Amino acid sequence: MDQLLQTIKDGISMGSLYALIALGYTMVYGILKFINFAHSDVVVLGAWLSLVMADTTTRALGGAGAAGAPWWLGGAVLVTAMVACGLIGFTIERLAYKPLRGSPRLNVLITAIGVSLFLQNTGQLRAVFGTNPRSIPPLIHDATLLTVGQVNFKLLDLIGFGTAVALMIGLDYLVFHTKLGRAMRAVSHNRVTASLMGIPVDRVISFTFVTGAMLAAAGGFLWALKYETIKQPADSSWVLLGLKAFVAAVVGGIGNVRGAMLGGMAIGLLENFGSAYLSSSMKDVYVFALLIVVLLVRPGGILGKAVVEKV
Amino acid sequence: MGNALAPEVDGREAGRNVSGAVLDISGVCKSFGGLKAVQSFSLRLGPGDLQGLIGPNGAGKTTCFNLLTGVYRPDAGSITLCGTQIVGMRPNSIARCGMSRTFQNIRLFGDLSVLDNVRVGGHLRVRHSMFSAILRSAGSRASEAAMRRRAMSLLTFFGLADRADEVARNLPYGDQRKLEIARALATEPTVLLLDEPAAGMNSGEKVALRDMIRRVRDEFKVTVLLIEHDMGLVMDICERITVLDYGETIAAGTPAEVQANPKVIEAYLGAEEGVHA
Repeated sequence: MDQLLQTIKDGISMGSLYALIALGYTMVYGILKFINFAHSDVVVLGAWLSLVMADTTTRALGGAGAAGAPWWLGGAVLVTAMVACGLIGFTIERLAYKPLRGSPRLNVLITAIGVSLFLQNTGQLRAVFGTNPRSIPPLIHDATLLTVGQVNFKLLDLIGFGTAVALMIGLDYLVFHTKLGRAMRAVSHNRVTASLMGIPVDRVISFTFVTGAMLAAAGGFLWALKYETIKQPADSSWVLLGLKAFVAAVVGGIGNVRGAMLGGMAIGLLENFGSAYLSSSMKDVYVFALLIVVLLVRPGGILGKAVVEKV
Repeated sequence: MGNALAPEVDGREAGRNVSGAVLDISGVCKSFGGLKAVQSFSLRLGPGDLQGLIGPNGAGKTTCFNLLTGVYRPDAGSITLCGTQIVGMRPNSIARCGMSRTFQNIRLFGDLSVLDNVRVGGHLRVRHSMFSAILRSAGSRASEAAMRRRAMSLLTFFGLADRADEVARNLPYGDQRKLEIARALATEPTVLLLDEPAAGMNSGEKVALRDMIRRVRDEFKVTVLLIEHDMGLVMDICERITVLDYGETIAAGTPAEVQANPKVIEAYLGAEEGVHA
């Protein structure tokens, strides 16, 4: 019973992180029909920026440790990281992808891999983040809120999950209930028609990248909060995190915002159930096995629509 | 995110200061490789004109629309919409100047609701920025409500109000054609380009369409440029007609003049010698 509860808790907590990151993949795919491989590196950037900011501010405020950190510091770090990554997402799109607007999708895809390598290697420079793992100073004084059986529900769990859910609700509102969201959906459906109807397509694409990058930053921040130790920017675990979030987007139906949230949760739960009840060394296998099953059975993803080929 | 948008002039204001023409096309050319799709195409449209553009398949009619709306950039020539030179402007800026169109093969936003399709068309006439829409400022909510009302009244005009929440792709074909016109009108155009609105319609629907085009012209005070293959419809409602063949303007005039023009007959039916040979 305890194990079941613990697994569900871990699964949802991990799943909400995957979902947050998956949204960035799915939004960009929905609008530009290419996989932004640099997305996971924006997550890394978000995590490292959070670390650097947390480090400098707690030091400036005099005392390391949770006791020294005022309650609002975590929120301030999160918002700053999101804004910074939003700006970086905007710049990446403007410099790397926009010049390729009319070119074949493969060119853009290769460029995305280039951007990813660029970010990884710039991050490794000693002047930037370096190649050693570092720990983020505690921003929030953790406390156990509730204990059921032997399972502890902690403040950090709640904050992590709450932040992810709040951001997803916000995004869902943005996409389905605002003018910008309507424009995004129109551009995603047909770029040329949207522009003929007066939608400033380039601006909508920029907004999409900014939003995706901001969610990635939040994902990085929450990851840092959860694991404390942050691996160096080119570490393979980051690539795996990005890949899993991408799988979540595909499983949910790539291009579909609600699908990405669903896919993220599904993968988080599957991974944790698999490692709790079957074998923890096969953690990654379950995720990619699910991908294979979905691609075989329902290639469009859970919420995706099947693409019927006309003959 | 200030992209360098082409200069945005409120075209309709400027238009009133300029003599007669709402749309002035002169000497527009476009080639694709060796194919001269449109050659020195010229046309002047005044307010409220109902002009037809006809020609055999591949004559360059749709290319003309693509040149006018900024999808293609002309190789030469000038296009003035309400006093603004629009050559080289982006499609969304041209739409802002007051040009809107429908499509030969329907191009609705199929996944969006009927109402949302029309509201997307209304975006460029809405004051509030996309950013203030996210923050839900009072102004943005008010203009969002106004946009919704306008969209609904357009849908009512086309008899689609009770289907507002349906997904656009589920509408029957005839309604999809109407919705395209509604969406185009939501951009508050000065010039409305209709690309084969009668395609796929039966004779009863065509009669209704004919009345609707007239009502749209009168009610929304638009200038209409109509591409159509249905000669009955074109000859009936258009005041003037331009005929294209292989990208060249071979005739222009009233329906009666055009019908009597031997070049037009030749283009449609083949040359006299050709028939007998």
